[in-house]
Amino acid sequence: MASANDARYGQKESTDQNFDYMFKILIIGNSSVGKTSFLFRYADDSFTPAFVSTVGIDFKVKTIYRNDKRIKLQIWDTAGQERYRTITTAYYRGAMGFILMYDITNGDSFNAVQDWSTQIKTYSWDNAQVLLVGNKCDMEDERVVASERGRQLSEQLGFEFFEASAKDNINVKQTFERLVDIICDRMSENLESADPSIVGNKQGPQLNEQPQRSTKDCAC
Amino acid sequence: MDLGLFQALERERVLEVLQRDKALRTIEADRIRRLKVELQGIYRQGAKTITLPYGQRSCARCQRHLGKFWDCGSVCCGCSHRICNRCRVVRSAREWKCTMCHAFREFKIKSGEWFLEQQAKKFTDIKENHETTGDKLLQSYQQLSFIAVVPPTPPPFKAVPSFNRVEDLKTSKPFTKSMENLMMSVSAHIKKLSKSQNDLSEEAGQLTVDYGRMNARRKSLSMGALDKAFNLSKAPSLPDLSQDTKAAEQYASASTICLTDDDVSYASAYSDEQRDSNSSTGMDCGFFENTSVTGEIEVAFGYNSRTSCLEITIKACKNLMIGDMKKKCRPYVKVRLLPKKYHSYKMKTAIKRGNSPVYNETFTCVVDREQLVSSVVQASVWHSRGLKRKLFLGETLVRLADLCLESTNTRCSVWNTLGPKGHALGGDVELYTSELLLKAQLQFLPQTSPHTDDILIGSAGQLKVVITDVWKLLSVSKTAYIEGILCLSGDRELMQRTPLKKTADSLQINFRRVTRQELQQATLQLNIWEKNTFSLADRLLRSARLGGESSWQRLQQMPGEWHDFVLPLHADVSTNMRS
Repeated sequence: MASANDARYGQKESTDQNFDYMFKILIIGNSSVGKTSFLFRYADDSFTPAFVSTVGIDFKVKTIYRNDKRIKLQIWDTAGQERYRTITTAYYRGAMGFILMYDITNGDSFNAVQDWSTQIKTYSWDNAQVLLVGNKCDMEDERVVASERGRQLSEQLGFEFFEASAKDNINVKQTFERLVDIICDRMSENLESADPSIVGNKQGPQLNEQPQRSTKDCAC
Repeated sequence: MDLGLFQALERERVLEVLQRDKALRTIEADRIRRLKVELQGIYRQGAKTITLPYGQRSCARCQRHLGKFWDCGSVCCGCSHRICNRCRVVRSAREWKCTMCHAFREFKIKSGEWFLEQQAKKFTDIKENHETTGDKLLQSYQQLSFIAVVPPTPPPFKAVPSFNRVEDLKTSKPFTKSMENLMMSVSAHIKKLSKSQNDLSEEAGQLTVDYGRMNARRKSLSMGALDKAFNLSKAPSLPDLSQDTKAAEQYASASTICLTDDDVSYASAYSDEQRDSNSSTGMDCGFFENTSVTGEIEVAFGYNSRTSCLEITIKACKNLMIGDMKKKCRPYVKVRLLPKKYHSYKMKTAIKRGNSPVYNETFTCVVDREQLVSSVVQASVWHSRGLKRKLFLGETLVRLADLCLESTNTRCSVWNTLGPKGHALGGDVELYTSELLLKAQLQFLPQTSPHTDDILIGSAGQLKVVITDVWKLLSVSKTAYIEGILCLSGDRELMQRTPLKKTADSLQINFRRVTRQELQQATLQLNIWEKNTFSLADRLLRSARLGGESSWQRLQQMPGEWHDFVLPLHADVSTNMRS
């Protein structure tokens, strides 16, 4: 049983220590919006149309090369179903970034976004980075949530926004990479702001003179 | 959180994921540990050593001489030291850091420390983060499934408190794992266990569970948790337990299973009496947490400063209770001196009958005056059941520092309320902040007096003191800093303060221009102050003192070498404030 698992989840990937840092990312959203598919597309580049509900939690590990750094991602896939809520929310705290997903063909899943974002605010750290993703954008015929509505909501919530398709592999990689970039930015901000508190305010003026952040354009 | 609501299959799935996560975290912890070692290496290389007379400028990293107008270096915004051009890491046109600050920043990034710091801002209770949640689940369910599956001898004691759950599992969960699988996983656990033995023995040495937890947060989240998860199999493979398992040996030989090597099966490890004998380490499994502890114990203390003898008299107990069982109580009291590192005393009273036994037994142990203040007496009450496993009835911890033993000759006898394991002191943090670890080094440099022939005797040297376990201070107070006062002969006092450090691994104090003669009668007073943000007055938390000829001799005999010292910390009863 164990060996089967290891093969399935890429043993090599997870035991590999050749990386610079590790980020933990959590994918949340209503049931059946395609969280698991999204993750499988990203981590394994595979897609199965069959719907299998995730039990509680699961994760995959993927190492990427970004900004000259090897970053190991531990991506947690959560069950959307309400009954697993106690176990999934326990994992919010350890996550540096979130992918909040809804299904563009499912109005309810979009309406729940607000609630999900409240959940993040409650259970996660204060600087949690969130990307809003409207999945299944390949199913244009069945679309009920207009792209513009998604964008508006994301602006309102202060998240960045992507429409993506796990099935057709649209914007999947971009979503994760963008999230990694945002976390990196947040990381350097935190480190810069943490420094003066140690030193005291002697160096105050000098520190204020360094607002230059690596400017990255939004990929969407 | 409880997985009890889930169906058996769901539970399996979740546990399997948690297991994978744990494996990942173990690897990660290992990596972080290595990063830490690397960082410490860099620190050691680049630690600031002031080799030149005061007033002359040198680079804090490479000690290169800096000029007044040309090549004068500039101040690093990270550490406020003057740094030459070569020891900088330039990140942008305006921004640079010294090599050490850069290394520290890199470490924070690579280890994910930055995130933990941010996290800690919102969640002050670190215990409840998802890692431990996962571990808790893993732990509880692993134990249960092993018990239910391993058939040979159903462990007698585990069945009592968790009766309902085992029963529940037996009926609801069809176990698919075969014996082989099970044994395989058991041996895998044992392998893991032996890996983490160092941590374990350390933990055993320090006795209390929370130490492990605290340590775990700093250095490895998962290792500590892992240790706890495999608590149950701890007993047989721990080497240092052998010393206090004499009594258990006879039980082991009496029982059918022989516990000799690491391949001991889970079942035998479990059902054997052996783990009782190491009660102090083995009892942290939360086994008795739900049974209410009642009762009191009367203990008297006396200290003879001439013979350095501490006398502990166990007088009596009252209102003892064994859970809710209607059995006759056969209690005895076990007395230990903590921290274990310094005391090997372990004493037991005779077994008495009844719920309010009278013992009047006195134990004598030799404790140095200096150690007295940092020592804690642990008196635990146990219910003896002959060859069967003993039961924990409660314990009390008495800090000797609180008793003012040195000033009075009269025995002070006090009734202490018994509490559950490890709760008596109100957080074990206290226990571990009772001493300060530091390194000291004395350097004599010929350059300081180039014109004198007699370099060694009359010349001034530098005394460097590095406080190594800063995290301990931080557990006392987030805003602690250290003040070092070196009192030299002839009423000369040198005073140095460390900055408020929230993150660094060590704090350093340097005393310049100290001569050998001066040092002979010197004392170094180290005060831990708490910076008060809201008022100007700082509060003195603890103080320690380094003195005596022997200490200084050690330093003088080998100048340039680091010497380790462990100083007992004294809590000042009168709250000292200063502006």
